This record gives sequence, structure tokens and C-alpha cells, in this order.
Amino acid sequence: MRLVSWAAVTLLAMCLCGCGAKNEQTGNGPESGGASSKAGAPTAAKGTIGVSVLTMTNPFFKTIADTITAEAVTHGYETTITSGEFDVAKQQNQVKDFIVAGCSAIVLCPCDSRSIGPAIAEANAAGIPVFTADIACLAEGVDVVSHVASDNLGGGRLAAEAMIEAMGEAGGEVVVLDFKQAESCLLRVQGFKEVLDAHNADHPEQVVEIVAELPGDGKKDQGFKCTEDALQAHANLAGIFAINDPSALGARAALEKAGKADEIVIVGFDGQIDGKQAIKEGKIYADPVQFPERIAAMTVDSIVRYFAGDEVATEQLIPCELYRQADGEADPSLQ
Amino acid sequence: MNADTPAALMPRLRHMGATVLADHGMLLVLGLLCVFFSIVTLDEQTPVGGDAAGQLVRRLSQIGDEPKQLVIVAGRGSDEDAFVSALAEGAATAGWSVAGISQGGPRDARMSLEAFAATDRRVEVIALSASAGAWGVFDGLESRLPAFADATLLRPEPTRWPNFLKATNLLNVANQIAVIAIVAVGMTLVILTGGIDLSVGSLIALSSVTGAVCIRDVCGGQAAGTAGMVVGAAVGILICGLAGVLSGGVVTLFGIPPFIATLGMMLVASGSAYIIAEGQSINQVPDAFVWLGRGADLAGLPNAVVLMLVLYAAAHIVMSRTTFGRYVYAVGGNAEAARLSGVPVRRVMLAVYVLCGLLAGLGGIVMASQLKSGAPTYGQMYELYVIAAVVVGGTSLSGGEGRVLGTLVGALIIAVIQNGMNLTGVESYTQKVVLGLVILAAVLLDRLRSRRG
Amino acid sequence: MVSASPPPLLEMRGISKQYPGVKALDDVGLTLERGEVLALMGENGAGKSTLMKVLAGAVRPDAGAIFLDGTEQQVTSPVDARGCGIAVIHQEFNLVPALSVRENIFLGLEQTTAGFVRRGDERRRAEELLRRIGVAVHPETPCRRLTVAQQQAVEIAKALAVDARIIVMDEPTATLTPQEVEKLFAVIADLTQQGIGVIYVSHRLDEIEEIADRVQVLRDGQVVAVRAADQLPRRELIELMVGRSLEEEFPSRRQSVGEPRLVVRGLCRGDKVRNVSFEVRRGEIVALAGLVGAGRTEVVRLIFGADQAEAGHVALDGQVLSIRSPRDAIRAGICLLTEDRKHQGLILSQSVLHNFALPNAAHFVAAGRGFTGWGFTGWIDQQRERDAFAGYATSMRIRANAAAHPAGTLSGGNQQKVVLAKWLESNSEVLIFDEPTRGIDVGAKVEIYGLMNELAEQGKAIVMVSSELPEVLGMADRILVMHEGRITGEIADPAAATQADILSLAIR
Repeated sequence: MRLVSWAAVTLLAMCLCGCGAKNEQTGNGPESGGASSKAGAPTAAKGTIGVSVLTMTNPFFKTIADTITAEAVTHGYETTITSGEFDVAKQQNQVKDFIVAGCSAIVLCPCDSRSIGPAIAEANAAGIPVFTADIACLAEGVDVVSHVASDNLGGGRLAAEAMIEAMGEAGGEVVVLDFKQAESCLLRVQGFKEVLDAHNADHPEQVVEIVAELPGDGKKDQGFKCTEDALQAHANLAGIFAINDPSALGARAALEKAGKADEIVIVGFDGQIDGKQAIKEGKIYADPVQFPERIAAMTVDSIVRYFAGDEVATEQLIPCELYRQADGEADPSLQ
Repeated sequence: MNADTPAALMPRLRHMGATVLADHGMLLVLGLLCVFFSIVTLDEQTPVGGDAAGQLVRRLSQIGDEPKQLVIVAGRGSDEDAFVSALAEGAATAGWSVAGISQGGPRDARMSLEAFAATDRRVEVIALSASAGAWGVFDGLESRLPAFADATLLRPEPTRWPNFLKATNLLNVANQIAVIAIVAVGMTLVILTGGIDLSVGSLIALSSVTGAVCIRDVCGGQAAGTAGMVVGAAVGILICGLAGVLSGGVVTLFGIPPFIATLGMMLVASGSAYIIAEGQSINQVPDAFVWLGRGADLAGLPNAVVLMLVLYAAAHIVMSRTTFGRYVYAVGGNAEAARLSGVPVRRVMLAVYVLCGLLAGLGGIVMASQLKSGAPTYGQMYELYVIAAVVVGGTSLSGGEGRVLGTLVGALIIAVIQNGMNLTGVESYTQKVVLGLVILAAVLLDRLRSRRG
Repeated sequence: MVSASPPPLLEMRGISKQYPGVKALDDVGLTLERGEVLALMGENGAGKSTLMKVLAGAVRPDAGAIFLDGTEQQVTSPVDARGCGIAVIHQEFNLVPALSVRENIFLGLEQTTAGFVRRGDERRRAEELLRRIGVAVHPETPCRRLTVAQQQAVEIAKALAVDARIIVMDEPTATLTPQEVEKLFAVIADLTQQGIGVIYVSHRLDEIEEIADRVQVLRDGQVVAVRAADQLPRRELIELMVGRSLEEEFPSRRQSVGEPRLVVRGLCRGDKVRNVSFEVRRGEIVALAGLVGAGRTEVVRLIFGADQAEAGHVALDGQVLSIRSPRDAIRAGICLLTEDRKHQGLILSQSVLHNFALPNAAHFVAAGRGFTGWGFTGWIDQQRERDAFAGYATSMRIRANAAAHPAGTLSGGNQQKVVLAKWLESNSEVLIFDEPTRGIDVGAKVEIYGLMNELAEQGKAIVMVSSELPEVLGMADRILVMHEGRITGEIADPAAATQADILSLAIR
């Protein structure tokens, strides 16, 4: 049994060594901030930017995180990347840890637009500027220096235009796969509805009607389930608008399973690589694409400008662009 | 037989070693973790507040005796306020005169410096607080504003100290684990009886949501007074107590395995939370609602941590000094023998599930207070962390063995590992792996102990 | 020196084993000839089971060697032991309840072709083995449906399946009825005929006289005697085991039986208990005798409220009691010392003190504090608790310093005394002993008997359920014999009765 106890202790030691080693490899921990003042370092470190994104399982946020790191280095900042994984309490703890580690600035993609308020308030109290990317903070009484995001409202309008275009003269029934917890997704649906309402008013003969709004939760499996249910409920379904690519791909999978892939068009959102691939292959009609790289770059730029004492707008929107099959065929990044 | 010979002593020493490792192994592990993270988070710490001001005043007096002028630049926040006032006072005592103070963001600093440069006054020193010292405003200042060409930039010098061991961080660790630790008290009781409660994560959400909805709709929303908030919190907690009555009742009256009964309750509670909240987070609560989760009224200890410590002390006394505590251990040790010894086994089991529900509800209120809102997404996966805290703390999943205070140690171990990995920048996937390995190691230790016994 | 006789089947030489604080075996030797039954005797803790664990490869000795047919063998694991032809049949059987007799016999030795079990071969082999030991069980019966005796037979068949030449039986008759015991002895005789050596571990002295060729007595980890069984009178054997002289196995008692205290009328539950009525007088010990399964334990469980009676009532001192749970019975002054101490009598993982205090919460609660609504009565005064237990520990001679240790670490005798102390503290007036001396060694047995007599003399009413007929005859003032859930006979004067009298009533 002494053997067992030593095995337990060794296991623990290995865990600890493991995370120590990990830290040396990535070298983006706050404690290595001091190391860059060594001779030969190209730029003196100005501090660490703490980043907590919504989730690292979505390529969109991974791109944001990676681009922030890349951009920050060029301006002499280190980064600490974490992810709330949809758990706002966890994200709050990450912010607290940023504060303790003495980060210079904090970038958040909040897991909950309202519940993130207290965390930002703490950063405010510690005098650390907070920036949000993609997802805004809606809590009152807290200070966010700047919010950088796609123009989701505009993107939603683009999606509606694509849907009308795809439906053609007949019009038809449309289901929306939404994600009500995220403000950005609410805006997309809002823009989508605005354009549809205007269109329906002008063209009563080719009405595009929203028959259901289902919680796709922005996830592939949930998008799949909701679409299956929608197919049961609405036999004449002609179109699906999914608020992001994973749920759009989930919807596509459900259509293929039901053998209705050719009858129903899908408009997605985001323009992630597999979303674009699906557009090129005709599986998704079109995406209003977002530019996570541009969001990230703009965020870092805002941080630099803020510290330089420049004026920074409280909201900076990056327009979306519609991406169709033709764009896919011309896209060198796809197979 | 001579017990004093070294040969006879060795096995006894080894036996003692094994005993210590088994009984206090987890405390040892917690200590080792703290030492480890103290070493790896050793970092340059720039002093803030009064400390930073004191250091700058010392350096000011070294610059010379004749009266000179300085400008103070600092950011916002209480530390910065302390810095500014302490430095202004200290500089005046040292014979310096303060030509200007700029407090605010980098932009404010830049505007004040530009405004100052426009006057014909000159200063010898620009004193920067820790956070202002990192701003880009001062890079190449002499070229942009020649008025400051001769001025010295004075920043607080960093010292070396582990990030982990900073007082604010240690309080963070305690505060971060408060919810899980509070819920784990109830879970310890349930596991001691040989049961399990999978519904606590959902109950956290249910309690936060019903509490917040009650405050919003019944008690006056953002204008609610203390009484209104207490009522809201009580409603949230009692709803969870009711859920505990249901799962406990199903377990005791119908003999359904606790795993299944509470799995059902987990879905019921989670769904109810979404229905009550209509899928949204509810933040129409008064500002004072954060008192429980973020206030710190007792010697700088966060109120949630004080609550946690009080609960553990109470639970420890109840479990070791009252009949109820004895009965809980007896039911877990051998329910049939306990029944034949006159223990009201069903009542004890029911009470344990109710307590667990109430404490999960309390955890939900604390969480709602920390986040100043209630949402049905709270507490996801928390049941697993709570169970992990209990098991890491040395309570046997087969019941009858374990201590409440062990659970506190278990919860702290989990908190220290999570916090330490956040501080050292380990990304979240690796964190999961490490946490999982630690739980496995804890179960191995548990195994060792049961073999010894 | 060259010996002319062939080397013995098994020889263990100089076996020593040290546990922390205890020398479990100190230079112990053992020889076993072919076709011999060697009885290994000794009190609990004498080292019998450690010695057998060494033989089975479950415990590695600090010193000593094992010889089979004169050649030294390394027996360091149970697999080694099986390879050497050593099989151990434990008191608690190693059978998988859900598997069939055949599957259990061949567990770990499945007869396979390309990974598929050859069921036919196995079944034929199993039938042959079962026939050899004279058991009529179908090989495909799941083991959970077997009686204890049949399970034991399967264990023996398992041993024969690996061609065991040495079979160790640990307390094989503890849970068997007298007929089953007779049958087992016949099997053992048959095994020895085939040259198999049997090591027989038991507390039952009658059996030793009946089947053992030689007796080896262990005490405190040392061999104190090895004799031919017929040259070791019972009394001397007991004294060798206990290490001191005993006056009487069953202490005599002043006869003073008073008015009826416990009155049981018309108890019924299913077909296990049918219309059972009897009474127990002040100062009387009434024994419930009968075969295993006759319904004796079921009757006392009904009296204690452990199960619900379908009809009938129980009265104490003229007052009819309403007993729906053990809690009610305890409050009324009735207690039950269960036959299965380990699973029903004690919480083995918890301290002796906590076990002692469990039904007596009200006695140790600091006055005026706590709430009583749900029976979770308030604060425990630990000092009072310790003091109360210390009193019983002294008067009953419970091992010193026992209070803080887990109950599971105590010997059977001490465990039984703790259970008794617990019930005396709760002011029991009716004490029901179910198999009071099962698994308890000889010395402690006598002490338990003494305590029972003392309690009877204090005026308590005592009910005793026992399968050991000498115990029934020696202890009881009156014997009630049960058969198929009914009381079928009464022996008013046990002193004049014989075991055969009881058996004739029990079998009918």
C-alpha cells in the first residue's frame, strides 16, 4: 500500500510538472512578462493583455484569440488566453485572476452579456481597462472602453437579402435557429426580420414567412435536433436561417438525413472555414461573413490607442460581407 | 522483545508514516500545491497605493534637497487614489511642491500633460503610479512635448513576490470556491449516508433564478430593500429545500437509487430554471444585492468566505457532537444495523437530502450575488466539482467514512489548482486533464486508506 | 539421518509472521499426511487463519518454508497454491451468485476451444465431480438458488476440479444443519479415502472428536500441542486453547423463575411464522430450537419490530405493546442481539463507543439543549458517554482501550459484549439472543454464558435462538422447538433431555 501512496504522490507531481512545463512552452504566462526585459528582446514588454473568450471550441473565437496574441506581440504586449466555455462564473474567476496577475488590459467575449457586469466592475475598481470583442456587455454601471464587433444587425439584413434571393419568386416558410442568450445573435435575427418585413410589405405575392424560431444554441448537435423537429412540424419548409455556421451545418445534416437537402435552402452566418467549404459545395446557400481577424486587430489597435491617450470610440462595428458559392470557388483557402 | 531496537522501530515508523499520509494526506497535498504555485508564480510585483507612494517619496528625497516641482499621474480606482494622496502628502513633507495631479485614463493624462506644457511652468519629475507606468503615453514624451525634455519619469520599482501568495489572490481563491464549498457541505452529508445528489448544479441555477425573479417581480426589483432581498433569497433557498424533500422522499419511500432519483431532479430543476427565467439572465436586482457575494465586512474577508467558514464550523460541530451527526455516519456505515439499533433511518436520509437542497439553494444565492444576476445557465457541471471536492476531501463514496473539514480541504485543493493554472497561463483543456488526474490521485489515496482499515 | 518412511504430504517449517505490534506466528510448524484429517484449533487471534493464509499464498511469511512431498515449494500467490494442489474453502464462500454451478466450478479454468467454452465437457466433468461428493445438484443451477450446504459442496467440487491434494476447510459447519453436517463428514471421509489431506479449522469440539485424526492447538501464534485426537480429552483441549483451566463450560445457575414478563400471542407472517405464542418469565432463559429455516429468527425479528407482523401481539409486564419498528421495541425495553453481528449488529467501520451509544442517544444528551421533534436529539455529552461505556467495559471484561477503535477490529467475543453493553445501557428488560456464540471462541463463549445467567438472575426475560444443541441444553430453562413456522414442542426440563429429544421434535 506504500506503493499506492507513492503512485498517488508521483501522479500528482507529474501533473504539476506537466503544467509547469506547459507554461514554459507557451511562454505567454504573466510571470514571463518580466523575462522580456532581457537584453536582445526586440521590444520591451509593456504588460500583459488578459483575454477570456466565449469558447475555444468555436473556430471564430479561436481566430480572435490567436490574432489578438499575434497582433499584441507586434505592439510589445504579452497575452494570457483563457476561455469561459459558456460559464460566466468561471469567466468571472478568470477576470479576477487577471487582476491579481496585474494585467494591463482585459479583453472579453462575455459568456453572458449581463452577468459579466460584476467582473468588469472589479476590473474597473482595479483601474484595468476592459475591452469587449464580438459580444457586448449590457450590464449597467460598468465601464467598457470599447466594444469591437461585427455589424450583426447589418449582417442579419444581408442574410435576409440572401434568403429572399434564394427563395426567388415563390417565397415560402422559413425557420430561424437562434441563440437568445447572445446579444449578437439577437441582433442578427432582428436585422433578418427587418428586411423580411419590408420585403413582405412590398411584395405580398412572394411572402417569406418565419414560421418558427427554435433554440439552435449555435451548436451543431442542437441545430441538428431542432431542424429535425422543424421538418416534422412544417412540411412546406423552404428555408432555414441559422445564426452561425455550426448550427447551419447541423441543419444541413438533418436535411440530408431527411432527404430534403435539395428542397430547402440554408443561410448561415460567420464564414468559418467549414462554413465556406459548405457554401462552395452548395450545401449552404450563403453566409454573411464576419472577419474575426479584423475584430481582433481592431481590438488590439484600440488598446494601443487607449494607452497612447488617443480617443477610442465606445463601439466599433466591422461590416459583414455576403459570401456566395461564386466567392467560394474563387477562394484560394478552400480545397 | 525489545521495542527500542532500531530494527523493531522501523516497521512502526513506516506504519505511522502511512497513517499520517492516509489521515492528513490531503492537507499535505494542499500544502505542496501552495508551495509549488508560490514558486512558479514568483514574479515582479509593482507596488501600488501607499507602498508605491512611500517608495517614490524616498527616491524623491534622494534627488536633492532644494525645492523642486513634480507632476503626479495615476489611473482610477481606490489603490490609485491612495497613491495620489499619500504621494502628494509625502512629497510636500520632503519639500517638493506638487505642480499638478492627473487622475484618469491615458487620454486624461495626455490632455493634462499637453495643457501643462502649454503653460510656462516646468517640472523636474513626473511621478507615475504602477498602472500609469505601463501606459504608452509616456513613450517618446520628450520629442512630442519638449517642455518635459528635462523631466525624469519616476515609476515604482518592482519587487519579487509570488502572484499566488498575494493577499488579494488568496482571498480570490477562497471567494472563487465559496459556492462549491458551501454546496459541498450538503453533498458531504449525502455521500456520508452512502447516497449521492446529482441535482445540486441545477439547484444552484434554480435558486439563483427564483431568487432573482422574486426580487424583480414581487419585492420591487432594483428598488428592493434588505427585507425584499432576504425574502427573495429565502424563496430561492426554500424552493431548493423542497426539491430536496422530493428527491429524499423518492429515495427513502420508494427505495429508488439516489443516483437515478437525483438525476431526474437535476433535469426537473434545470428545466424549471429555464422556464422561470424564460431562458434569460435576470439582473433587475438592487446594487446592494452583491453584498453577500462581493462585500467584505469582517477584517477584509469576503462575506461569502465568512459564510462558508461559518457553515463548515457549524457542520463540523453538528457532525461530531450531535445525535444527528452520529446517525448520519451510522446510516452510511450500515443502514440495516443502524435501523436495528433504533436509528430513524428514513428520517435521517430525508433530512440529509433536504439539507443538501437547502445548501445548494444557498450556493445559488451566493452565486447570484457574486454575479449580480440569476441565470439558468449557472451551476452547470458544478455537481461534479462538488462531488470531486467531497471525494478529494477523503469521504468514501460508499458512505460512513469521511469528515466535513476534509471536504473544505478538498474544495481548496481544487480551487488552488484552478487558480494556480490560471495564474501560470495553462489553457483550459490542460486544466481539465490536470484536475482529472488530481481527482484520480485522491481516489487512489482513498483506496489506500480503505485497504489499511 | 535418513528416514525410512516417505516424506509427509505437507510440511510447514518455522513459519513466522510479524504484524505491526503483533507477532501473529512465531516459528510454527505443521505436518499433514496423506488421507489424514488434521484439526487446527485455537481461539480467535491464535494464528490459525494467518497460518492458513500463508499456506494459500495470500500472506507472505517473514520466515519459514513449505514442503510438499519433501520438496520445498514457493507459494507466494493464490495461483501458486492452486498449482501445488492446495485449495482453501473459506467460511464465506467464493462463489458468484449469478453464475451456474458449472460456471463457478470452472471459473478461471474454463475448458475452451479457440476461446469458446466447451460447455458439454464442462457439464460432464461437473456432474462427475458432484457425484463423487454425493450432491444432487444440476450443474446449470445458478448458485444463488443453492442452500448453504450445496454451496459448500460446490466449493469442494471446485477444489477437486483442480486436483487439490490438500483441502483447508475453515469453519465448514458454522451454518449447516445437523443432517448437513453428517453429510459433509461423509464427504470428508470419502476424500481422505482418496488420499487427500484435510486441514479442518473449527470451534466445535464435538466435531473434532468425531472426524479428526490428529489435533494441533495454536495459542498466541505458537504451537502448544499436537496430539492424536483420541488422546485429547475435551476438557484438556479447551484448557490448552484458552491457556487457563475452566470450571464449567455452562455455568450453573440458581433457579428462580418469577411471573410472566414477555407474552407473545398468535404472531403470524407469511408461511415463515404461523400463529406463534409463548411467554417468558422473570429470570427465565427460553431457547427457541429447530432446524435452520424453521422460522426462529423470523419470530424474534417480529417481536423486535425488525419486520412487521401480520397478526398477533406482544405484551410486556401485562401491557400490550404497539411495535412497528425497532425504535418502538427499544423504547419498550426489548432488544435483539442479531445472529449476523457483522451486517446487522454493529457498524464495523465505526468506533466501539459510537456503536455503544447509537440506541442510547437520549442518555447522553446534555440536558435542556437540542430539539426532540424528529428524534435527532441535540448535543452529545461525550464525557458521559465514555464514562458509561467504561463501566460496562470493566464489568464485562471488554478489551481495554477498545472504545476508540473501529468495532470491526474486535474479536467476535468482544463484539458480542459490545452489542450486549449497548442494549443494557438502553434499559432492556427482554433480551433476545440470536445465535449468541456464533463465531466466538471457547473462552469468550463461557463469558457470554455467564453474562446471560447474570442477567437472568437480575430478573430479565431472555430468549435464545441457537442451532448448537449442547448450548440449548446447557443454558435454557425451557426449550421451545419450532418446525415450519410453528412451535411444535416444548421441553420443560432440559437437564433431563438429550439432543435426540430436540431433533425428534424439530424434524417430525
